[in-house]
This record gives sequence, structure tokens and C-alpha cells, in this order.
Amino acid sequence: MAKRIVINPVTRISGFMEIEAFIENNRIIEAKTEGLLFRGFEKMLIGRNPFDAVYFTERICGICSTAHAMASTIALEAAMKITPTEQGRYLRDLIHGCEFLQNHIRHFYQYTTPDFIRLPEGYSLYVPDHNDFRLPKEKNTLIADHYFESLDLSRQAHEMLAVLGGKAPHNHGVFIGGITAQASADKIIKIKSILSTIKKFINEKMIPDAFTIGGYYQEYYHIGGGYGNLLSYGCFNNYAQLGTLYVDPLTYADSGIQAFRPSGIAEEIEYSWYSEDSEPDMDKPKAYSWVKAARYNGMPFETGPLARQWLSGEYRNGISTMDRTIARVLEARKITEIMSILLENIIPDVSVQKKYSIPETAEGEGLIDTTRGALGHWIRINNSVISFYQIITPSVWNLSTRSSIDLKGTAEKALIGTFIQDPDNPVELGRIIRSFDPCISCATHVFSQGKHIKTIKVVP
Amino acid sequence: MMEINGNTCPEYNLRLSAANSLIDKVKTEIERNTLVKKNLVWLELTGCSGNIISLLNGANPDFKYLITCMTDLIYNNSLMAPEGEAALDALFNNTENGFILAVEGAVSIKNNGLYNIIGRWRGEPITALNAVQLLGEKAAHVIAVGACATHGGVSAARPNPAECVGVQSILKRKVIKLPGCPCHPDWFLGTLAHILLYGEPELDDRDRPLLFYSTLIHDRCPRRSYFDKGIFATKLGEKTCMFKLGCRGPVTRVDCPVRQWNDYVNWPIKDDTPCIGCAMFGFPDKMEPFISYNTTRKR
Amino acid sequence: MIESGKSICQRMKQISEEAEKDIKTIFMQSCIYTRSSALYELGAKIVELEELCEGLIEYEDRQVQPTQLSITAEELSKYSGKNGMPAYVAVNGIVYNVTNNAAWAAATHFGLTAGKDLTGEFASCHAGQSILEKLMIVGKLI
Repeated sequence: MAKRIVINPVTRISGFMEIEAFIENNRIIEAKTEGLLFRGFEKMLIGRNPFDAVYFTERICGICSTAHAMASTIALEAAMKITPTEQGRYLRDLIHGCEFLQNHIRHFYQYTTPDFIRLPEGYSLYVPDHNDFRLPKEKNTLIADHYFESLDLSRQAHEMLAVLGGKAPHNHGVFIGGITAQASADKIIKIKSILSTIKKFINEKMIPDAFTIGGYYQEYYHIGGGYGNLLSYGCFNNYAQLGTLYVDPLTYADSGIQAFRPSGIAEEIEYSWYSEDSEPDMDKPKAYSWVKAARYNGMPFETGPLARQWLSGEYRNGISTMDRTIARVLEARKITEIMSILLENIIPDVSVQKKYSIPETAEGEGLIDTTRGALGHWIRINNSVISFYQIITPSVWNLSTRSSIDLKGTAEKALIGTFIQDPDNPVELGRIIRSFDPCISCATHVFSQGKHIKTIKVVP
Repeated sequence: MMEINGNTCPEYNLRLSAANSLIDKVKTEIERNTLVKKNLVWLELTGCSGNIISLLNGANPDFKYLITCMTDLIYNNSLMAPEGEAALDALFNNTENGFILAVEGAVSIKNNGLYNIIGRWRGEPITALNAVQLLGEKAAHVIAVGACATHGGVSAARPNPAECVGVQSILKRKVIKLPGCPCHPDWFLGTLAHILLYGEPELDDRDRPLLFYSTLIHDRCPRRSYFDKGIFATKLGEKTCMFKLGCRGPVTRVDCPVRQWNDYVNWPIKDDTPCIGCAMFGFPDKMEPFISYNTTRKR
Repeated sequence: MIESGKSICQRMKQISEEAEKDIKTIFMQSCIYTRSSALYELGAKIVELEELCEGLIEYEDRQVQPTQLSITAEELSKYSGKNGMPAYVAVNGIVYNVTNNAAWAAATHFGLTAGKDLTGEFASCHAGQSILEKLMIVGKLI
């Protein structure tokens, strides 16, 4: 007789999620991931000033706001046929890098470690709800200390972001052409200084801590794998002089590594709370989530640090819960290296801004890999205002619902088949889900105006 | 209208340091056992959860000081160790009396609030609406943190698909409002410190603490002399007045020019972009367009 | 900021009273430093009087204008504040130029656009506030 488990809220993620799973003979035989927040950004953007989209879409998410500013800016540049200069790209990618560092430090320490270590007593916030803590006291205390120390580092990552971006979250600096302000020598050295502090922390504390946890929870290298399909839109890539510093648009599946083609993206809503004409509909039978189902060539894919580390050849140990966490901390180090290279190539005091005018009609897409994975914004402009806007976030890939042929979402697949040590305390579920770094505030949107569109073509 | 003489207005220096000194005082009093640590609940509702991220960016005091020396944080979706029922038990079992409720995010009221479910307790969904109704009237103080909680913010942007409203619309009792997108960590921590030491801070007629929200950005802007002389920037990235690009500094009451952001390193206008009025009621719809290049320059 | 004629005259009266005190001081005091100081004060007051006079002239000009220009609603709609056209708004039958008014960045104000009759919106938001006196008058709305 299968036992039904419901976990709601899944804490230590961004946004609101429920896991519903069925356990039989200590195995998960069925699982659903449900996104439980809806605001409707794609509808809100209609009719607005196209330039405003950069700042407006940032408000989709507080921890990865820069990601949306990036995708929105790139989509606008595509629509307006603007190519940013290399200096503009370096500066903008520096801000993007800062967001990666903030996110990964917070995700590892604040979101992930409480699953595996006991935090100090005396704080109501940290009273655990299970007993599966395996680290010996000394090692546990060390990571707990680092939990608090990391607050300084992630805060400094946002300080670094604000040096070029004005403020964080929801910076002003990322814009068409690159960034708004100029990087003067004092700003450059401030960034270098903070970067070196963060780099030291990642190397000396964060990466060893991740491997320490991995050492005591070895089975997590073998559970929560999912389909094993990985996808990246590319990031820190295709620089004119520097080439690709991180990863190009690639996919990995049974057929090995191939180039990624945007035309293969589709978004299905069979099990999501939207009607055929894309209005929210909570009465729809079978539907169970606000998150839609993104598919590439019909198949569910995983995006994020693990996909990037694998596709770039940096880390190919495996595809599992623990591998995701390890990949994330290794990626943090990689980002610091990339940022150092970009800083070496910055020419100080260069202004990349121009006076821009809104085209009467235009369309463009902005695809970029960002903190949680592959993010896409699609914009259409008509009568000089936004007439259409679509957003597919990394969590729509990772936390998708099942699709019409009952193909489970990536995280759902990762949960199913997992051996649960203690069905009364199924700690494995939350740990697997958190390894994906879910962001439900990002994942839930609706189209507007007409039928949902399977693919978006960019008119060259 | 106050004049700025010399380097900085002394009253302004006072306001800036007020937040810090209040917090130091709370710390000392708690250490001396003259102040009992209250329970703090931080609810994330229909929003981007950016305000808790902003809170984590606080420095002196930082997040650790907050939970060690100021209040006992008993619930927060992003940070708490327990999940599921255990998390909601922690919430409902510790909110019988004397707690302070901080709310970020708006409240979706469509479909009885089901557009935003924040948990499932004893089999029943708890919506954002439920949470505010259950806890809002009981709390000793309610603080709406950020634009969405204050007046709907971006969550309620036209056409407001999820029918979002600010927290005050759900409650009869007073709600202290800290607009901003996000709310600066100092605005929250300073307000909290004032509550812990002296009770509710002095509020204006829209329930914003005068400590942070009294003066227009325009009246404190380092670029004001350019405005007064009619020297306007034509594009982002310039050092002169951003008025013709759409700056909402003249209608926004908050201390960004003096306090600045992220360890006080920068703020939008200093980053050569206009203010988009994120700390004003009406953000975002009434503050648009944020960036325009075709505004007429001459009278 | 344009002061009203009445407030300018009130200040001028105040200055003249203070100036009388300074003159008395110069007559009565024998100390040269005290007299020097009083003379300095008088000089500052003369400068202020000049500024006030300019303000009064500006105020007078504004009073004259309304009868000079008539603007139809259709013409008003062209003054959107964009692409070279100034930003005009009409309230209670008077058309005002808000092109460089601080509260009208991007020729918009709390979601309202220029080139319109905003009498109703003004009444619901700013009734009783002395805002209109400080705006630059362009003409009458017909």
C-alpha cells in the first residue's frame, strides 16, 4: 500500500513549491513537483515601454534579478539590431558574474547545508526536523561557522555588483550596449579586491565543505539523477578576442554532445494551470502546477551549473544530487577566474551608452545561461510598445510538469525510484529538489494574446 | 526646503547615524538583559522574495546580529531548516502573543488566494491571504517590507493578473509601510530597532517612518545644481541631471542619495541612470516610463 | 520657483523695516566696526531687493499672459512633451507649461501624460495645495 507524502512548503528555495510523492517498499514510485505562485509577468509587460522591460523583468526574482536584466537586454539588442562592443560585454558580464557568486554562496550555505549539518542551538530558525546528520562534531562545527562567515562573502558579492550596477538586488547598470556607468580605476580595484577575498573563501572553505559533505553522504552521488539530458544556452562565450571563457550553446543526451538549436525549444501546458488561450485556469483537470513544461526536441532537459560544468568539460563525475552541488561550488570558482580575465581586459573610463530610439516594429530573443541555468526572453515590439513577451526560465526546464505524452518533468524523474531510508522522515526528497536550485518566482508565467506558441522565430 | 551648507547637512548626518545608534542600543540592552528578545516572523508572499535577499545584504548590523541580538526569527521560507508541516508548526505554535510580523510580497486575492499557496498544514492549503488574516491582527506590529507588500508593487502591475493588493488592504489594524524595490536593509533594521527600544517610530500620513522617508530624493540629489541650471543628460552614463531621461527623484521620498546601497557604495543616479521611483506608491505603473530619450528639452 | 506678488511685497516691507534699524544704528553708534557691519547689512538688503523686483516683474508677466493665447483641446493634445514639442497640461481652463517641471519627468506624472485637460485628476489629488500658482501659464483652454 503506497504511502502519500506531501512536503509544502519546500523551504530553502526561492518561491513556493509542493512535492507530492508516493512511497512503496521504501521507494518513490510517483512524484509531482508543484509550483504554487502565479503573478503573470508576460501579461504585465504588454503595452509597456520596451526599455523599461530591462528593469521590470528584474522583479521576477530577487536572488537572480540580474539574470533577467541580462536576457531582457540581449533580447532588446537583438530586436534593435544593436551589437554591444566587447568592452560593453565585458562590463556587463562582470555584473553577471557577481550575481552568480552571490547566488552560489547563498545556495550552498543558506539553502543546502542545513540539510546536512546541525546549525547552532538557540535559534528557532535552525531547529531541524530530522536526525540524519552524519558529520562528526568538529567537521559539523566548522561548516556551521562557515555558514555564518559566508554571509559576509555573499553580501560582498552584491556590493561588488553594486559598484558597477548601482544597487543589488534589482540593479540599474545592466542595459543595452553593456552597462550604464563607466568603470573607473577605483571601481576596478574595488572589484578586484572583493573578488580576491571571495576567491580565497571559495577555494579554502566552500569547495572543501562541499566535498566533506559529499564524503559522508556518498549515496547522494547515485540518487536524484533524472534523465541525464543536459542543456546550456552558453554564457561568458563567443568573445571576439577572448573566445569562449566558459561554455557554448550545447546539449548532452544519449547521442553525446551537440550544438544547441533554439528552434528546438517548446513549452507545453497540458498539466499546468492554463487554458488553451493561455488564461490562468485552476479548474483545469489533471493540472497541478503553475510551472509549464519546457522541452527540447520533445524531451525534458536539465540546465544549471552541472550542465555547464559537464558541457564545458570541467566536471564530468556524474549526474546526481551531490554532483549538482559539487558542480555549483566548482562553478563559483570558475566564475571568479573568468571575472579575473575580464578585469584584465577592461579599459577604464570607457562609456558605451548611446541615445537610443525605439523601433516601430521589431522582435528579438535573448538566450543566456545564468545562475540557475538556461534563461530565455522573447520580445516583440509593435507601435513602439511591447506587444508580446515570453519568458522561459531555468526552473521551467528543471521543475517542469509532465508533458502530454506523460514524460515526467526533470526533477520529478529525479525523485522517482529513489530509495527512502525512513519513510516517516523522507529527507531525500527535499535534498534532491534543492540540488536543482529551484526558483518558482521565476518559473510561473502566462502567455497572452492568442494561442500558446511552440517556438519563437527571430526574424534576421 | 532645507539648504545644504558645506559638506553635509548636520540633520542628515544625524538621521543616517540614528539607525546605527538605535541598533547598537538594542544590542547593549539585550546583552544587559534589559530587553527581552521578541519573536519575528518574516512572511514571503506574492512577490520576488527580493527583500529577504536585501536583508541579507545588511552590514552592521548584519543578518547574524539580527537573529542573535535583536529578535528570534522563527519563520522564513528561504532560510529555515525545517520543511513542510514542521515549518508551519514552528510558525503557528510560536505566534500566540508578542510577535512582530514582517511581510514581503503582495497578497493575491484571486480565487480566494489560491494563486499563491505558501504551505499545507494539516492537509489544508495555506494561502498568502490566509497567512495574513491568521497572523496580521494578532501581531504586536506589522511591517510591510518592500513595494509589493506596501501597495501591490510589481505584483499588482496592470493588468494585475493575480489580483494582488498590499497587506494593508487585508487588515484593519495599522501596518507600518516600508516601500522600496527592494527595501533597503537599513530601513527595515532601523525601524525594527526603533520598535524594540521605543515602540513604533514616528510615521507620516502614509505610515512610513519619517526616519527614512521624509525628504525627496530631488532635494538631496548631488546633481541638483545641474537641474537648477537646466543642464540635462541626453543619454545614460552621463554625469549631469537625469531629469530629461525620466528621473523620478523629484517625486520620491526616501534617503537613497545619502544612505546609498550595498555597504553604501552606490545608488542608481550615481550609477548614471535615473531614479525609477521604486520607493513611491504607484511603482511601477505610475512611475513609467522609466527610461525615455525623446523628452523635449527646451520650454 | 515663482513667488506670488503678495508674498514678494510682504518681504519687501520686512526688508524696509530692517533697513530702518540699520540706518538708525549708523546714526547712533560711534564704533566704526558696528557701523561697518550695519552698512554691510544694508548692502545685502539692496541685493535682495533687486532679486525681489525681478521676481515681481516675472509675476506681473505671468498675470498678463492668460488673455494673450487661446488653445483648443485638439491643439493641446499635440503638446505631449515629446520629440521637440513642449509639455502642456490644462487645469480649470488654464493651460500650463510643465516641460521643465520637476514632477513631470518624461512628460508624465504618476501615470498621467501631458497634452490633456487634467482638471478632474488635479482636483482629486491636489485640492487645497498651492501648486498651480507656481506653474508657468501659457494661455486659456477653449
